[in-house]
Amino acid sequence: MTRTSSLPPPGDIVVRLRDVSKTYLLGAVAVPGLHELSLEIGRATFSVIVGPSGSGKTTLLNLIGGIDRPSAGTVEVAGQDLGGLGDDRRSDFRARNIGFIFQSFNLIPVLSAYENVEYPLLLTRVAAAERRRRVMALLDAVGIGDQSRRRPNQMSGGQRQRVAIARALVKDPVLVLADEPTANLDSRTGAQIIALMHAMQTRCRTSFVVSSHDPQVMEQADETFTIRDGALIDRHCRATS
Amino acid sequence: MTTLVIAWRNIFRNRRRSALTLLAIVVGAVAVLLFGGFVTSILFGLQTNTVRAIGHLQVFRQGYFEFGAGKPGAYGIKDYARVLRLIRDDAALQPLIRVLTPTLQVFGIAGNFAENTSRTFYGRALIPSDRLRMWAWDGLGIGNTSLRQLAMSDDDRDGGVIGVGLARILHECAALKVLNCTDGPSEADVSPDLPAEDFSSLIEIDPPASSGAAVDRRPKIDLLAATVAGAPNVVTLQLNGVERQGAKELDDNYVLMHLDLGQRLLYGRGEHQVTGLVIQLHHSSDVAGARRELRRLFAAQGLDLDVRDYTELNPFYLQVIAMFGAIFGFLAVIMGVIVLFTVVNTMSMSVMERTAEIGTIRALGLRRSGVRRLFLAEGLVLGVLSASLGLLVGLGLSFLVNRAGLTWTPPTSVDPVPLRVMVAGNPLLLAGCWFGLVALSALSSLLPANKAARLEVVDALRHG
Ligand SMILES: Nc1ncnc2c1ncn2[C@@H]1O[C@H](COP(=O)(O)OP(=O)(O)OP(=O)(O)O)[C@@H](O)[C@H]1O
Ligand SMILES: [Mg+2]
Repeated sequence: MTRTSSLPPPGDIVVRLRDVSKTYLLGAVAVPGLHELSLEIGRATFSVIVGPSGSGKTTLLNLIGGIDRPSAGTVEVAGQDLGGLGDDRRSDFRARNIGFIFQSFNLIPVLSAYENVEYPLLLTRVAAAERRRRVMALLDAVGIGDQSRRRPNQMSGGQRQRVAIARALVKDPVLVLADEPTANLDSRTGAQIIALMHAMQTRCRTSFVVSSHDPQVMEQADETFTIRDGALIDRHCRATS
Repeated sequence: MTTLVIAWRNIFRNRRRSALTLLAIVVGAVAVLLFGGFVTSILFGLQTNTVRAIGHLQVFRQGYFEFGAGKPGAYGIKDYARVLRLIRDDAALQPLIRVLTPTLQVFGIAGNFAENTSRTFYGRALIPSDRLRMWAWDGLGIGNTSLRQLAMSDDDRDGGVIGVGLARILHECAALKVLNCTDGPSEADVSPDLPAEDFSSLIEIDPPASSGAAVDRRPKIDLLAATVAGAPNVVTLQLNGVERQGAKELDDNYVLMHLDLGQRLLYGRGEHQVTGLVIQLHHSSDVAGARRELRRLFAAQGLDLDVRDYTELNPFYLQVIAMFGAIFGFLAVIMGVIVLFTVVNTMSMSVMERTAEIGTIRALGLRRSGVRRLFLAEGLVLGVLSASLGLLVGLGLSFLVNRAGLTWTPPTSVDPVPLRVMVAGNPLLLAGCWFGLVALSALSSLLPANKAARLEVVDALRHG
């Protein structure tokens, strides 16, 4: 792997952060989360964010995903400056453009696998027939097609994360964010999930940004961003390795 | 759609808690329904007894209602036969009226010469058959538990009944064979110095008995009153029995006589008048309309007459309604508060437990308003479920109570009415209870729902 010096061309940028800082207030104490961080993530890439615990990975993903606001700087996703959007508009933006995969899967317990994957499409009012087609296609693609009626508590962790991957991809997002998606899985299952995510990323031609401590994950990365103490300290590109 | 599905399934997710909440609401519903049904039945019984006794409307001379009690004869309705005819022939009134009958109030002194006892009396003179027909009124469908046996008839113009208390005072209990009634001590024993009373010298017209051949062997009392002209006058009332009155004051004074006898007493040889025309309608709901029409009729005919309804004639009626209304309102408020706190508590716990889930669906793109809707829907579904169940249980229990066949006697009344809880066939109570509980349940979840909607996505997600 070599240090890259050239940035991807602007049209192919999905995420652009400029001098983003995030400071948490714990009572009167200001805890720095991110400090003047800038980065760009290319279209249809599999990017991995690594860094020690407390380095700001989750904070970074939250800002990119538009579920948190930076204290300073701008976050742009698919050409949209998220800072300029109100709460509802940002919700709508997430509903259309951003998929989330969580460490603890976060499926809705009262909904079946099928309904969980269908849920994002209900938020964007996709027609019923189209919903059905997309949900079934994705459940098959992640290997859960025969368990679509099961509730999350009837499935293993690996199966749940597969459903979560299908849920993140069903809306055809420009960007999928996954914060330590394998941390709650054994390494074998984790490897399968990472392989699946990478396969789906290639197949759906979407961008994945995954934070992880897991070396298996880093192997899949097109690009690896290393952060420490809230600052980007390294960026590797596999294509040039 | 999905919102309701999610709400529904979440209710069944924590069965124990939902069941307890459901139970609280069901208990609230049942309490309100049964008590509401009981109150309805009480008020129906009270209204029925009132309407049976005094009709819906009474027509008086202007001023009688306020001042007539002092001198009823002075407020007599002249040529009342014509007024009766006018009312009877009125096209608008005719279909509404069930009974139209003249009545006369008389005050005076009642005496029993033989026993040398006397006391003041309050008398009503009326047409016996009309009174019997009035007692058969059942406009609210409560049924007839006691159809009065009236010991009077239209042909028996000298006959009548008195209150049990008056019978006791006048030493007629033994003669009338009244149960649980013993004649008072004789005047001679109590105060031996008083002269014997005898009204016979005051009789203005000859009693009919003196001209007839057969001598009436019934117990009798003499009634003394001043005629309209101011002269003292006495008539003899042949006693057919007693009629117990609910209030002691009335029971000690009560005399019921044939209209003709009352008129003979009050008007002597002058024109026979009445003090009131009693109107009983088929339906209580027609009272206002009938009253308006009567006023219009009297105005058109230049008659100096006034109309009063049964709530004015018997202020007690409205007092009872107000009292039960207050008790019912108190109970409903208590139940409402219990339901409110239960639902707020349940929904707050639900929000707390599902904080991570709220963060998740918000990240997936649900707006804050969507989160609020989700929890409101849950409160609504919970309300609909429990209110419906409460209605079923309430109806079932009311059915059981009604089958027990209990009766009770309303205050100041003598006639028992069935003790019923009117829940079925009480659409206002049922609808009010159902919608009230559903609305309250939804309203109670507003607070927790807003709390859920205000959560920040990142904070909510960290709860996982
Ligand atoms: N809500 C918060 N309030 C206060 N401080 C916070 C909050 N969230 C994060 N931090 C702080 O910000 C810094 C970065 O945290 P972050 O969770 O982004 O790190 P991370 O790289 O995801 O760590 P980990 O690998 O443990 O998940 C840490 O010092 C953390 O204590
Ligand atoms: Mg983290």
